[in-house]
Amino acid sequence: MEREPEEGGGGGGGRRHVGEGGLISRAPRVWPTIDGPLGLTEEDSEAYARSFFKYGFFLLPWLWAINCYYFWPVFRSNPRSFPRIRRYVIGSAIGFVTFTVLLFSWALTFAIGGERLFGPVWGQLVMYNVADRLGLTGWN
Amino acid sequence: MDESPKPITILDSLGEEIIRIIAPVSTCMFLVVLLVTTLNSPSSSSSSSSMSSIATIAYSEKSSDSIWSKLTGALLNSLIFVAIITATTFLLVLLFYFRCIKFLKFYMGFSAFMVLGFMGGEIFLFLISDFGIPIDCVTCVVILFNFTVVGVMAVFLPKMPILVTQCYLVVIGMLVAYWFTLLPEWTTWVLLVALALYDLAAVLLPGGPLRLLVELAISRDEDIPALVYEARPVTNQGLESDSTLGVVGRNRDRRVWKERRDVDSDSGSNLNLNLNSSSNPSLGDNSNSPIEALSSVNDNQNEARLVIVEEGSQPSGGFVGGSSASELVAPLIERVLERPDVGEAELNQSIEVEGIGLGSSGAIKLGLGDFIFYSVLVGRAAMYDFMTVYACYLAIIAGLGITLMLLAFYRKALPALPVSIALGVLFYFLTWIFLEVFLVQCSISMLMF
Repeated sequence: MEREPEEGGGGGGGRRHVGEGGLISRAPRVWPTIDGPLGLTEEDSEAYARSFFKYGFFLLPWLWAINCYYFWPVFRSNPRSFPRIRRYVIGSAIGFVTFTVLLFSWALTFAIGGERLFGPVWGQLVMYNVADRLGLTGWN
Repeated sequence: MDESPKPITILDSLGEEIIRIIAPVSTCMFLVVLLVTTLNSPSSSSSSSSMSSIATIAYSEKSSDSIWSKLTGALLNSLIFVAIITATTFLLVLLFYFRCIKFLKFYMGFSAFMVLGFMGGEIFLFLISDFGIPIDCVTCVVILFNFTVVGVMAVFLPKMPILVTQCYLVVIGMLVAYWFTLLPEWTTWVLLVALALYDLAAVLLPGGPLRLLVELAISRDEDIPALVYEARPVTNQGLESDSTLGVVGRNRDRRVWKERRDVDSDSGSNLNLNLNSSSNPSLGDNSNSPIEALSSVNDNQNEARLVIVEEGSQPSGGFVGGSSASELVAPLIERVLERPDVGEAELNQSIEVEGIGLGSSGAIKLGLGDFIFYSVLVGRAAMYDFMTVYACYLAIIAGLGITLMLLAFYRKALPALPVSIALGVLFYFLTWIFLEVFLVQCSISMLMF
């Protein structure tokens, strides 16, 4: 529902040449964010991309994923455009993929391996036991 | 509707705006129904009648009480709850009046954190326990941490992806609504009715706190810092043969209008403000002056935007908020849910918004409080049976449609709760009393269904 062509329409083909005092220019413009004209301008984008990239290092792969999603047009465009933003977006993508692979492999090992692999530690690590032990579900 | 090279049907403009507000409301309701049915099944061990919170401070319902005592207890609970809400809303008005915007924003972020982190975490735990998913605590913590932090950023930061912000607001609404469904039954229904009446009074009466808030916000031309769902503004695709300018212009002229206003408010150009309160024709007439007034801005960016503003300032022929006619900023109406001081708090205080209005970008804004209470109603109906869910869902959507029509008609902030809650409660009781018997008899006699 939200993925309307308006972003595509705003961000789609072509470049706008905004000249100095050029008031009438009809060449379309590529927006760096996925929201197109409703999103950020190119200058603000760099600051956002950089801060998202930095904060992602605090164990926040989801933030990296959001960074990639937000600047999807930058991600998909040719390497020549938006060079500064592109660095951070690519970095976020790599970080997200790496972290997710690691996390998934750990979670799957834990789930599939179970007691056989871990021994009694499994019972202590699994979440529902931890919740019961700490009384986390007893907030009612 | 406008005649244009590609004729825009009413479905494209008006229908699109309506759908963009009904879709998230429906999603929220659907998710709450899903949660209610999976977590409150008889096999689960969660007790639904022993929740202590500020809404049951006066009376905790026990199933053995008589109807009369249940009713009076529920009334007492609701009155206390509404009184507390009124007090906190007045406090909010006071804070807004003294321009403690930072505090309000911080509070908003904090409440989003509490809802997502604690309520969301607990529901996550319920789900894990119920389905026996063997997930370990490290992964859990990482996932929850990510979810919460990004959620707080989505609520806090002005410029996250629109879809992400909208999704997180729906999730917050869903979580709070689920917690409300855990209240005792009679209390829930009476509370819904009481809140609908409160909403009506608070928004429409001259002394009502929400009305004061809205008027303050309009007079200062600010947005109230609150949890509000804003639908994406609709663009009229076919209006310009040059796809970019038309599409871009429509969107940008509304957004940029607001941004220009923010930027230039200090530099003393009140032109925008005047234009904002003017009606349709004058906007078209004044289209030339802003170019001169603002052409002193050196930035290329801004100049480009200015052009778009002017070119896009024809009335889009769209819907209420859609037309750039009067940028009537009728932001929002707020409510505060109270945090109980009884031990662990399930209900959390959050600055939420009730009521429906027109955002400064011309998109429809619906307060998160409305999402929550619609979902509470449907969730409660789901605890009975699915046919009440369907009936209440249709009633609420009909009520929302009526409210949107009234919004188009009156063009000011309106309470979104009363009509929908009234219809919803009415349909629930009618279904419960009449329809169920009918359906059961039909099914037994193999007549229908």
